[in-house]
Amino acid sequence: MTARLFRRLFASLLVVWAVASATFFLASLAPGDLATKLADPRIPPAARERLREHYGLHRPLGQRYLAWLSGVVTGNLGDSFLYRRPVTQVLAQALPNTALLASVGLGLELVLGVVLGLVQVRRPHGFWDRVLSAFSLIAYAVPTFLVAAGLLWLFAYRWPVFPASHMTGLTAPADFWTTLADRARHLALPAITVGVTGCGAVARYLRGALLDEQAQAYILGALARGASRRRVLLLHALPNAALPLLTVLGLSLPFLVSGTLVIEVLFSWPGMGQVFYSAVTARDIPLIQAATILVTAAVVAGNWLADAAYALADPRIRR
Amino acid sequence: MQARSKTALAILCCAVLLAACRRQNSLPPPQTAEPIHGGEVVVALAQDLSGFNEYTGFAESTELAILDLLFPSLLTEQPDYQLHPPSFAPALAKAWEFSEDNRTLTLYLRENARWSDGTPVTAEDVAFTFRVQKDRRLAWPGQEIKDFIEGVEVVSPTVVRFRFSRVYPYQLMDANDGHIVPAHVWGKVPLEDWPHTDFSKLLVTSGPFRVATHLPNQTLVLARDPNYWDQPKPYLDRVVFRVLPEVSQQLAQLFAGQVDLVLMVPPREAASVKQDPKLELVEVPSRVWGYVGWNNRRPPLNDRRVRRALSLAINRKALVETVYWGYARLANGPIPSTMWAYNKNLPVFPYDPQQAQALLDAAGVRDSDGDGVREWGGKPFTIELLYPGVNPLRAQAAVLIQADLAKVGIAVRPTPMEFTAMMARQEAGNFDAVLSAWEEATKVDLTSLWVTPSPTTGSNNFIGYSNPEVDHLAAQAREESDLAKVKLFLDRAQELIVEDQPVTFLYEGVQLVGLSRRIKGADINPSSVFFNLPEWYLAP
Repeated sequence: MTARLFRRLFASLLVVWAVASATFFLASLAPGDLATKLADPRIPPAARERLREHYGLHRPLGQRYLAWLSGVVTGNLGDSFLYRRPVTQVLAQALPNTALLASVGLGLELVLGVVLGLVQVRRPHGFWDRVLSAFSLIAYAVPTFLVAAGLLWLFAYRWPVFPASHMTGLTAPADFWTTLADRARHLALPAITVGVTGCGAVARYLRGALLDEQAQAYILGALARGASRRRVLLLHALPNAALPLLTVLGLSLPFLVSGTLVIEVLFSWPGMGQVFYSAVTARDIPLIQAATILVTAAVVAGNWLADAAYALADPRIRR
Repeated sequence: MQARSKTALAILCCAVLLAACRRQNSLPPPQTAEPIHGGEVVVALAQDLSGFNEYTGFAESTELAILDLLFPSLLTEQPDYQLHPPSFAPALAKAWEFSEDNRTLTLYLRENARWSDGTPVTAEDVAFTFRVQKDRRLAWPGQEIKDFIEGVEVVSPTVVRFRFSRVYPYQLMDANDGHIVPAHVWGKVPLEDWPHTDFSKLLVTSGPFRVATHLPNQTLVLARDPNYWDQPKPYLDRVVFRVLPEVSQQLAQLFAGQVDLVLMVPPREAASVKQDPKLELVEVPSRVWGYVGWNNRRPPLNDRRVRRALSLAINRKALVETVYWGYARLANGPIPSTMWAYNKNLPVFPYDPQQAQALLDAAGVRDSDGDGVREWGGKPFTIELLYPGVNPLRAQAAVLIQADLAKVGIAVRPTPMEFTAMMARQEAGNFDAVLSAWEEATKVDLTSLWVTPSPTTGSNNFIGYSNPEVDHLAAQAREESDLAKVKLFLDRAQELIVEDQPVTFLYEGVQLVGLSRRIKGADINPSSVFFNLPEWYLAP
């Protein structure tokens, strides 16, 4: 077991290294660099050349790669060209914000999805099943920015219940509880956007799995033994049907660190999506690299956790 | 010049959002004569400051305008470049004088100037700032501005002397460039550590405002500094900068009264800002001009007749009116008409497709097979027109240009590109035509854009334009200190450039600022939106 874990860990590190290296070369080979972007009458080309030298961009690609790699191994991820601070600092500021939004959003997505799925299978092909099927398909298909714009229009401008942007209000709240309430109010619209756009997929998965389970003999057996429909659904069918959701959730883990650009930009939420975007447009290689390593690690870890959770939940896998 | 909009997609939701936010409101309250103390103004920012230390990297213009409120300058550049090269008003320096030979500039500093920790602002700070500006370990892009300053000498705590290696018209401007930073605090950090230092933790400032709070990528709150040593002292208690990357959100919050100031209103939203009784639309003439840059090295674009034909064939007036909704002026030449050096007698290129056709025929770009497209070198003459893909205005302009040129038998292929990738193709000279814009500095110098590229000239002349007479005139204008003569040289150079049409001059930009009518006393001018921020006050 331990040997397998180590093998897996080693393979994971290999994946992170391969992805980060590929990103390094792709980002470096992309046309233009940080200095190219600075076309400004204030900046003579001599200055652009000096900047290239300053950031070590004049060295051959191989040398730059080795320098970067040795930095990573020794724990030095470098300084962001754009934010002029160590990349770890930039990420440390953005990561908790994204994690907060994503975890609340994913929680909402899960709860909404499970409730939808359960309501639907109470009477398959009945009225509510059809309505909610349509709803979950629409929620799945509608682009995020449209949901966000709709929510903003309704709840931030038409009826200003929630703030339209940012994580905090203009004045600092006085104590812990008002801070919490302020944060929750600001979290509402972006988190609902994540929840609504994601719940469709969860509901579809769950509905399908529950219908499969309900056709199984043990369900019929439980019903025959006199258990109520609700009891059978919640206690017998749901735990088994929830297995594919573990995979869905495990694969959502990267979202906790990567963030989504559209939601973050629309709601001015200072998370990883924005950092990633600005890093790419500025050819801020140290920042691109650090963010890539983080997201790749999250993907690998998410897969790993999904597998582990699967193994815990389903004894057949453990064998 | 950076890509402004973040997501093209999100622009779509703009209309939905905005429609919701235009509510009818009562008329603004009557104006009072006496300014009122207190209150706060909320400004929407497209992006956060990249840092508080401009010397460790590149700070764009809005960022510098905010740093103006926190760090002192020796002098204040005045927004009077329409009349003559910008003049300067006293700031940290109350007076200044040049030596007989004009090689030494002595500045006399204010005795009462203080940093926010109470320490006096002295000549030491000025000399320290100069050392920082010249240090090769730092990535300040303005370093070359100080090329002709040999040294800065502390004469006394309030007297400082700049020594120049040569005499030229912009000595005062170059000496003044860059804010003065606190030697007694920042000087304790070794310069090699500056690139990794978070200067938001070392914020000793000396301006009308000081930083109250800064939540990165969220909110920057500046509070009135009660100990500010200069006049006028601010009326406002706080100025809040809110980072709102999406312009539709900036406008929605402006209409909803949650934001008081939007720095760049898109032209198509200008009318709705104007109609809102709570808001005012301020049109600030900018020094930005848009153009189609033709690759002057590539045949047949290296033929002046072809470039002139292209300019004649593009209906520039229609373009300004449709794409910019009339919020731009037709551009005519290389120096914006808002600047003192503009040649008022430049010929205006009309929209004349017929003359364009004749010129193209004469240049040998003819439609010999009768398919409606002219040929060059045996192949259909097609121009690939590059433009930054995130900019919707450029996309519209590209389509109009394509339609106009199709009428004279030239096929245009508009190609949207990621901004940095486009810049890389420009640098490499690998393009036919580029749809872009340029912001002229307040220092008029034709050397970087229009002089034949060489190691010391033509640094931004990526189109490869070359006219020896223009080269000569630009050099003369640069060396001459008699302004009347400079103007003559520049006038002639502008005429030559317009005759050659190395680019097609499209429009001169107007910056549209959306402002709440709550704000009184604002003098928004091309120098900076926040030029007289201390004098702003709120209507009761």
